[in-house]
Amino acid sequence: MKKKLIAALLVAAMSVSVLAGCGDSKKESTKTGSDNKTSASADAKGDKADDKEDDKSGDDTASGEDVTLKLFSNLPDRKNGQGLVEQMIIDEYMEANPNVKIEVEALDEEAYKTKFKAYAMDGMPDVVSIWGQPSFLDEVLDAGVLAELNEGDYADYKFISGSLEGFKKDGKLYGLPRNTDIMLIYYNQKMFEDNSWEVPSTYEDLMTLCGTIKDAGITPIAMDGGDGWPMACFLTDLLVKVAGTEHSNIISNAISTGDFSAPELKTATQLLVDSAAAGMFQTGYDSQDYGTTQNLFTNGQAAMYCMGSWDSSMALNEDISEEIRTNIRAFTMPVVKDGKGGANDIAAWNGGGYAVSANSAVKDEAIKFLNFMYQPDKLSKYGWENGVGMSAQDQSEYMTGNETELQKQIIEILNKATSVSGTPINDCGPSAFKTAIESEIQGVSNGSTSVDDFLTTIGAACK
Amino acid sequence: MKTGRKKIGKVVLWTILIAVAVIQLFPLIWLIDFSLGSSNEMFTNGLLIIPEKIRWDNYAKAFVDGNFLLYLKNSVLINTLAVILVVIISIMAGYACRRMKWKLNNFVKTMLLLGMMIPIHATLLPNYKIYNTIGVTDTIWALLIPYVAFSLPQGLFLMTGFIESIPMELEEAAVMDGCGIYRIVFQVVTPLLKPSIATVAIMTFLNNWNEFMMASTYLSSPTWKTLPFSVLEFTGEYSSNYAVQFAVMALTAAPAVIVYIILNKHITKGVAMGAVKG
Repeated sequence: MKKKLIAALLVAAMSVSVLAGCGDSKKESTKTGSDNKTSASADAKGDKADDKEDDKSGDDTASGEDVTLKLFSNLPDRKNGQGLVEQMIIDEYMEANPNVKIEVEALDEEAYKTKFKAYAMDGMPDVVSIWGQPSFLDEVLDAGVLAELNEGDYADYKFISGSLEGFKKDGKLYGLPRNTDIMLIYYNQKMFEDNSWEVPSTYEDLMTLCGTIKDAGITPIAMDGGDGWPMACFLTDLLVKVAGTEHSNIISNAISTGDFSAPELKTATQLLVDSAAAGMFQTGYDSQDYGTTQNLFTNGQAAMYCMGSWDSSMALNEDISEEIRTNIRAFTMPVVKDGKGGANDIAAWNGGGYAVSANSAVKDEAIKFLNFMYQPDKLSKYGWENGVGMSAQDQSEYMTGNETELQKQIIEILNKATSVSGTPINDCGPSAFKTAIESEIQGVSNGSTSVDDFLTTIGAACK
Repeated sequence: MKTGRKKIGKVVLWTILIAVAVIQLFPLIWLIDFSLGSSNEMFTNGLLIIPEKIRWDNYAKAFVDGNFLLYLKNSVLINTLAVILVVIISIMAGYACRRMKWKLNNFVKTMLLLGMMIPIHATLLPNYKIYNTIGVTDTIWALLIPYVAFSLPQGLFLMTGFIESIPMELEEAAVMDGCGIYRIVFQVVTPLLKPSIATVAIMTFLNNWNEFMMASTYLSSPTWKTLPFSVLEFTGEYSSNYAVQFAVMALTAAPAVIVYIILNKHITKGVAMGAVKG
């Protein structure tokens, strides 16, 4: 009985594994078939398309020259904004090079970073989205998964000076920046005029103005405090105004030693705490997310909104009522009393970008595609036309004269800038530091932890 | 007097039941309500919104841009297979560990149940490496294997408890009548396990229906992507198209709700009967 049972089980196990083997290879072939299909249309539509494309891909493979590029992107929405721009360029490239197929895999930020770790172990796609910031890039470069790029090739790509720095290590270039992000305070011009409020020129003026606005029953500044990073950017902006161009040295010293007791850091944090305590932000700002916050502003419930230049596409968003969208204007952080930073020292950086995998089997084609994307009339031009913000390249020749007032203002801010801050403070250190500062900053801003405790905690995360 | 008390009791009972029903149903109503508005209407202060214009195009977008049908097919296929495998394996393993006498039966059962304690996140990267080495990433197996593996301990736990409650005499009678082991398990025992099968099926289904972490790590092309990816298609770099995401979620929730309604009768019975005997 027992033997019979064991024998039966073994037979069962074997047949299962044999069947599994069959299934496996079958799935494998369907998979390849539809992979090609995905790249052909870059968007799976359903089964029917699947079958049709299967035949087609069979023919293509027969020609033997096909190259398949895998692109791993952090832009899951392919129909709007930056994701649309990326997809437009991909479609254009595939049209120009019929033998090249580009498969896109897109995940949003958290899932992207998790999967990036998995890929770093094995099977990195050919072209990937990266962030030119130490919190992300240091670990990635240590793992040696990104290919070195030849900086000389990009001499006539019109990159803004200094924008490549974040993507370099030991003088070698590993990626290219996609955007220039500027920290802004958006305001509702009509609301300001109706109430005869003035754009503040000093931080004290801003505080007074916020008091006035609050008394009028309107939220002064909509702040996305739920996410952590916008407030860290706000803090960076304050630090720029307090310490001037010295701020990046102060930050890098603090991060390398874990000692955040520099007086400038204290002053800037204290300013943030005082502002929050004075009611500069909406009630419950520390738990509200991006969409909610943006909506406070675009619904006219808040007079100002603190966010990066990428959100200037609000001026083109038809979901926002015309009265508000045509009246959105922006200014940069006003100067702080006794601060070393001037009005034109701005908080701006080149965050996201692309890189090529070091182990890619089709590295040459991948670099070719990367260079295609960065031709000045691609990412930069399309991005400008779709209002997704400033690219890291010189965009002046794509000015059509039809730019929104807001776009013109942002260009002016950038042109007038005497210095830019570089990477915001939360992205300057290791990933543990990023996590610490983004979660602790809520506590310090709403007064539940003291400034000193905050600085000690984030310092400890650097060690 | 007696009828009066009964009446009060009934009123209390009904109030509580209605309150519970409202609490249970509200999220679904809320989901459907918001899926018919525009993204901007979402940020009002009220609990529910009255959309200016009913936006059925949210659903159209969910279907077309969200690859809804393909992902639905994948989700249904993967979940059905996972449920079938978990049920079959847990019946066989449960029977083997409870009723058959062999040296390691308790040890094997404990080992299988220990699986309940392993968090998914701890296995994510090692599993990716293993799957990649044996070449199953981006195939249906990359989801089927972990879905079955992570649902099995729970299924086994419920099955063993339930098998215990089946009188041994039935099996003895079956043996007397000349049944082999497979006929005993599948023709005598299995029909008696119906409530417990329903419970295991529903738990496996609900656990895996909304799973995203493993799916996003082990899959890369759209071929086998499951429904949670549909929501992702409308996530922008900074802000998202919430209204369409709500429409996707309403569509995603529908099959789960339907499965629950169908198997509802069995699940309560199954949990109650299986749990006490563990």
